[in-house]
Order: sequence, then structure tokens, then C-alpha cells
Amino acid sequence: MKQLLFGFLVVMSSVLGACSSPQQKSASPIRIRWERDPENLDPLILPNENALEAANLLYSSLLFVDPSKQQFTPCLAEALPSVQLKDSLTLLTYRIRREAVWDNGKPVLAQDVAFTLKVMNCPGLPIESNQSQWGFIKDIQLDAQDPRRFTLICAGRSPEYKWSSGDYIILPEYPLDPQGQLRPFSLASLRADTAGDRHTPAIKAFVTRYKQAQLDHHPERLPGCGPYVLEAWEPGRYLTFKRKPTWWADALRSEFLPLQAYPQKLDYQIIPDVATAVLALRRGDIDVYPMMPAREFQHLRQDSTNQPALSFYTADSYKMITACFNTKQAIVRDKLTRQALSLLFDVPALIEATQLGMAYPSAGLISPKLGPLYNDSLPLPAYNPTAATALLRQAGWQRQPSGGWSRRSTDGQVQKLALTLSYRTTDPAFETIALQLRTAGSKLGIPVQPQPLESSVFWDRLRSGTVDMYLFTITGNPFVYNFAPILHTQSIGSGNYTGFGTAASDQLIEAIAAEEQPRRQAQLLRRLQRILHEEKPLTVLFFLRSRLAASSRLTNLQVSGLRPGYSATAIQTKSAPVQ
Amino acid sequence: MRRPETRRLWQRWLAILWLMALVAAGTSATMLPLPAPDAPDLRAITQPPLTPSHWLGTDLAGRDILAGLIFGARTTLLTSVPAALSAALLGTFLGSMAGYWGNSRLRVPAVVTGWLVILGAGASCISLPTPELVWWLGLAVLGGLALWLATRNKYAATWPVPVDKLVLLLIAFLTAIPRLILVLALAAVQEPSQLALLIVLTLTYWPVTAQIARATMQRIRHLSYIEAAYTLGLPNWRIIIGHALPSIWNSIKVTLPLGVAALIGIETTLSFLGVGLPPQTASWGRILATARLDPTAWWLIVFPSTCIVFTMLALRQITFSSQQE
Repeated sequence: MKQLLFGFLVVMSSVLGACSSPQQKSASPIRIRWERDPENLDPLILPNENALEAANLLYSSLLFVDPSKQQFTPCLAEALPSVQLKDSLTLLTYRIRREAVWDNGKPVLAQDVAFTLKVMNCPGLPIESNQSQWGFIKDIQLDAQDPRRFTLICAGRSPEYKWSSGDYIILPEYPLDPQGQLRPFSLASLRADTAGDRHTPAIKAFVTRYKQAQLDHHPERLPGCGPYVLEAWEPGRYLTFKRKPTWWADALRSEFLPLQAYPQKLDYQIIPDVATAVLALRRGDIDVYPMMPAREFQHLRQDSTNQPALSFYTADSYKMITACFNTKQAIVRDKLTRQALSLLFDVPALIEATQLGMAYPSAGLISPKLGPLYNDSLPLPAYNPTAATALLRQAGWQRQPSGGWSRRSTDGQVQKLALTLSYRTTDPAFETIALQLRTAGSKLGIPVQPQPLESSVFWDRLRSGTVDMYLFTITGNPFVYNFAPILHTQSIGSGNYTGFGTAASDQLIEAIAAEEQPRRQAQLLRRLQRILHEEKPLTVLFFLRSRLAASSRLTNLQVSGLRPGYSATAIQTKSAPVQ
Repeated sequence: MRRPETRRLWQRWLAILWLMALVAAGTSATMLPLPAPDAPDLRAITQPPLTPSHWLGTDLAGRDILAGLIFGARTTLLTSVPAALSAALLGTFLGSMAGYWGNSRLRVPAVVTGWLVILGAGASCISLPTPELVWWLGLAVLGGLALWLATRNKYAATWPVPVDKLVLLLIAFLTAIPRLILVLALAAVQEPSQLALLIVLTLTYWPVTAQIARATMQRIRHLSYIEAAYTLGLPNWRIIIGHALPSIWNSIKVTLPLGVAALIGIETTLSFLGVGLPPQTASWGRILATARLDPTAWWLIVFPSTCIVFTMLALRQITFSSQQE
């Protein structure tokens, strides 16, 4: 009888196993390649794109970009905010969804949003980056009748406030401030008292608690209301995120991608070396390889043996490679010299050589794909040594019998035209660009010294302003046109490493951010592109095409030009054919 | 069947011919009608050999491989050979000093030692924070006082300098850390340049020669002709330079080609890892490194590997031939 029962159980388990749905198969982790470790998951810091992607798995925002619709959609918020203009202020009223709850079952309330904004402005914490992005939110008013409703009071007017006012992760109040010690403080008072953590006991105690939590490597101590929890993190090797058994958004059955999360497990493998990552993809050790270098992408795509196992996706991205000048350095302080040096980049050849044609040139920081916003009356960058020589002469440089160039500066000192070109060692394309400029420069008698630097050294040099020229990657988006962090004089040293900025350019940047009329904003953007084209604090060499290779068993990757180039939470596995 | 002697002769001549070709290529690199090794031909990237104007093909940045190999030979000649020679000189100097003087034969007046202690302490104090500065200054004063008291004693008027111990300590320190890791650490903290790489290679490779020189000096120091020279009252420097060094040099020169081969290996490894030399300097290791990005470009592996292997084999062959002679 026992044998019969055992046999019956074996047969039943086999039948059940064979009939299990493809959903169970999708329980196997989706393995994604990351080039580098996120390094720090403190919600106030998030130093790189990978940290940002990880934070979006752990936490939710009021609004989030839906890559399939290429627009902001409500996530924690019920809908986009209602906008009310009052004098010089913009009032944005949100209401949080009824379904949104924290892991302990308590609802996400307006009080949590107020807490998040206070943390983002709390003295004694690393708030600089948040303040530069969301410093326009001056205050928050909670609705006395409805604990889910609140109004953000923003300084000035801008159409982008509608989206950017909800584009930050919401933190829970209960783990860090269970007694509500920050509640009595207003946003304005926290911002005004920059030494509050030293003389106000409540703030001091909160800052101590926040730091003691060591959120940089222990995000589990501040559980968010995102769909995943961090299961394992081996720095420099991997991060594993596990889907919460029940996530509040499951009940919504929403069509919006930010409210969907399919993979049961997301396994991010950190593989810095490109060749190793490609090998891992071919062996099936990873499933998704985002932003793959052009050469590897082309090789894999052309190799017919990969065709059944791998799928290939491309999309026009908003990521661009730029050559920037440190305008504080004497030899590139004048715009004519910068214009001359910009003419030495052979952009079409560089696109072919480094991106195998999978990139497109642009006259400025706006992607040519954005239609009326792009100033198409400006010429595309072109290689023209003759014009460069003429511009150098106009700038006062004189060719010496030795072959080099020199000029006398206003203080009577002799300047020699020789510069270093710094770049990070991570991307081989940078080396090719540097060598091309060096060759073009040497033909004109301009010594250019390529200076490959390790990432942290590169950043140190940028901050200290000890570079002449540098190659840099800038990632934009089609929603917000705020160039203040990289081009405003107030950002010099903290994001504006070119040191560029005039009263006119500052005014224009502020006007673009504040303009409500799309047509007028387009005009201002075109004007800014012309100013940048003439002043040349930087030259956009080309916009990249996003390239992604993934296992063919995966579907719904939502590949787009928006970073990180795909939507990890949307990925599903294809149904296995029924045997 | 060819006799072993004839085969060895052939091997030796082949090695000499290869090394002569290498020297010829390195010295005449700038005169040959070649494109600059760091000038990318962006319209001919990753081209296979026998492409018009690129006989041995190009790398991923469009750099000519033939130019890279010939200028890479020049880099090898200007980096590894001088580094091996300077490491041999430094190692011979320190090793023979350690072997000759030992721990007690070199005696210096205590006053000089006292001043050296005080100066050394003072120099190290410059960069110290205040609490440690006080400690060091106190130690220096006490040391000076002790030495002053000691000099009052006739027998302690001179103090022995433990040259052997000091050199052995330095050798132990340098050999305790794997050489590649040490070179990598030193090369990574400074700006890449050929001179800096030469200095780093010299400073990390001298212990090999120093150990041989020390052992040889310890052996010959007790030989009768050195003892006789000492008894005759010849100055120490004359004994070392005139009588001991010729014997030591016979041992050193045999290992010199092996040192060059080892340093070529380290230099190419560093270039492969992207440290040490600036990106515009051609190097065999750098060409090999580009193959990582495109493993299908076999010419990026075959040509530089052939150069490295043939050069190392040739140097080894020369070493073995000299030993057999």
C-alpha cells in the first residue's frame, strides 16, 4: 500500500511539474549585466546610474517615466498634480493612492512625503545633489481633512514642475523618525538653518540616527514601498533583488509600466570587462546586456550562431559624448581658440570608427530627434584644419619657427598652445577620440597629450579644475530642459566643470526652465544652442544609439533611449511550448 | 643527423640575428616610411593583414600594426634594456657593499652617526603632526645625548654600520611583495611616462642582481688575493673596484640578458593592463591588450606575441650560450 501511495505521489508530482505554467519558469532570476557597482544606496546620494536603478526597485516615486509612453505617469500619486499659479509661486496638489502601503501594512501618507522633503533639506546630511534638483520646492501643505492629499509650494513658474516635483523616491517616516521629531520643523526653517544639526537636539538626534543606519550598504533598514527588496549584495560582484510576495500595486492591475513588476528575482551581475560580459552573455550566464559597445553588438548580431539564442535591440538615446573645455585655463579662455580646437574633431569618421555608425551628430546639446527644439540652422561639427588655423590667428596665436603656437597674454606672459585631454579609461572610444585629436593637432603644431585617468582621479581633477580639455558623457532626457546643473555659473565646480557662464547665458537657462509656452521654450532653446555654438564651452561629438542584447527567452524589455535603456521590472519570459 | 654543437651554433646565430634585427628596427624606427604608431586611420579600423597601406593590418582604433611593432621594439629598447642595466648597476653596488662590509667592518665616527640620527629624525619630523613631532624630537635629542656620552669612551669612538643587514632588509621588503603587484602599485600612483616606468622597473628589479653580487663578494672576500690586498693596506675602494668587481661582473653579465627578458615581460604586462606607458607610446603589450576588445582579430595577438616570445627566447639562448662558454 505504501509503495502504491508513493508511486501515486511521484506520478502526481511529475504531472503537476509538467503542467506548471510558464509563470513558474519565470521564477528563475533575470540576470542583468552592470558595468560597475552601485557603490552607495543611500537615497540621498545615489552616485551613479546603477544606484539610481536599484533605488527605483526598492522605493516608489509619486510620478515615474513610463518608457512605453515616453512620458511621466502617476505611480504613488493617483494622478498628475493639479496646478495652480499664485503670484510668483506654483502650487501643485497631489493625492496618494489609497492602495499604496508600506511593508508594515500602514498606508503611505502625505506625512511621508513631507518627511522625505525634510530629509532632503536636513542640515548635516548629504543633501547637496537633492537641493540642486528639487530646491524649487519651498514648502509642503498637508490637507487637514485628507491625510493623503498635500500641496507642494514651488518657487517661480515652470511647466516642468508638474513632473519634476514628483520625480524623487518617497521615504517612510516610521523606521527613521518613529516619534515624528522632524514634524515641528518646516522645510524653510530646515533650509535656512544650515547648522541646525549642531544646536537643535531633535535635528541632531535625527541626523545621528540616519547616519547610524548606514543606508549606503543597508537599504533594508529603510524599507521602501517599491516592488523589490535587496536580498544579497556582494560589492563588486552582484546584487540580487527579490520580488515582494505582495506589492501594493498588484491590486491595481494598471496598464502603466511603473506599476508592474514581473520578474520574481533580478540578479545584477557586475562585470566591468566587456569581453568577459560578452562571453557571459553567449554562455547564457547573463540574460540582458544593456548599452553594449558597438563593436561587440555588431559582431554578435552578425554571427548567425547567436541568432536563435539572442535578440538585439537599438533605440535613439539621449546620451552624448562631448569634448569639454575648462574655460578657466588661460589657453582656452577665449572662444576663438575653443572654436578652432573644436574644428579638429573628425566627427563622421569618429562615429564610424568608434560606434560603427550607431550614433548621430548634433550641433548642440539637444538631440536632432526632438524636432522644433533642435536648432537645425547651426552647422554640424566638421573637421576643418584650415578654418582652425585661421581662428587661431584671430585669437592672437602665432606660428613659431619651431612649429608650435604661442601668444602674449594681456599680462605680458608668453603662452604656448599645448594642452592635455583627460578622459576616463572605461570607454575605448575615448582613447580613439583622444588619439584622433592628437594626430590632427600635431599636423597643425598643437601638442595634445592624452591623459587617461582612473574614474575617481578623473573626478578629482574635474572638481579641482586641473584639466585643460576633457571627454565626458552627458545623459539628457526629453522632458526637462534644465541646463543649470551643467552650465549655470552657480554650478561651477559642482556640476559645471567647464567653468563657463555669462549673465546672458544664466538668464537664458533660467528662462528656459521657467517658460510655460512650448513654442516660446523652443525659441529659447534654439537661442541657447546658438550661444553654446559660438562660445563653445563644449562640443557635442555625437549622440549614442542605445544598444541592448538579451536572451531570446525574454520579452517585453521596453527598450528605449531613456536610461537605463530598458525596464527591468517589465521583463517577462516567453511561454514555453506545451509538450 | 645534425650534431648537437652545430644545432646550438645555429640557435645562437638565430638569436643574435633576431636581436640585431630588433635593435635595427628600434633605432631606425623614426627613419622608416611608416605611419605614426599613435595616428589612427579612422577609415581603416580593425583591418586584417595585407590591406593596402597597412601590411600587418590595423587595430580597433585604426593604428598601423607594423608601425606599432617597430616602434614597440624601440620602446622595449629604450625602457627594458636601460632598466635592466641600471638595475644591474644598482644591485651590484648595493650587493657588493653588503658582501664586502658585512655588519661590522664599516665603522664610522660616533659623532657622524649621531648627526645622521638627528638629521634623519629632523627630516622625518617635517611632515609629522605635532604630537608625533614632539616624540621624534625627544628621541633625536636622547639619541644625540647617548652618542655624545659614548664618544667620551675611547673604545666606542667609532660605531659599526650594519650594511649587510640594511641591504638584506631592503631586499626582504622588496621580495616579500610579488614584483608585478609592487610595480603595478608604483606605476598606478604616478603619471604614465617612459622615464617613470624606467625608474619603477629599476627600483623593483635590483634585488636579483644584489643577491648575486652579495653572495659572490662574500665568497671572494676571503680569497687570498683580496686578503693580501687588504694586508698591503690598499684602500677599500681600490680593493672593491680593482680586484673584486671584475669577478662579480662575470657572474652578473651572465644573468643580464635574463634580466632584460624579465623586464620586457613586466613592461608588456603593464602595457597590457594599461598602466605605465602613456597611450600614445607604442608597445607590444598595448597591441595585445586591444585584442581583448576584438578576439576575432587574430593579427592583434599573433604578431606582438611572436615578437615577445622570439625576443625572450633569443635572450635566453644568449644566456645559456654564455654559460656554456
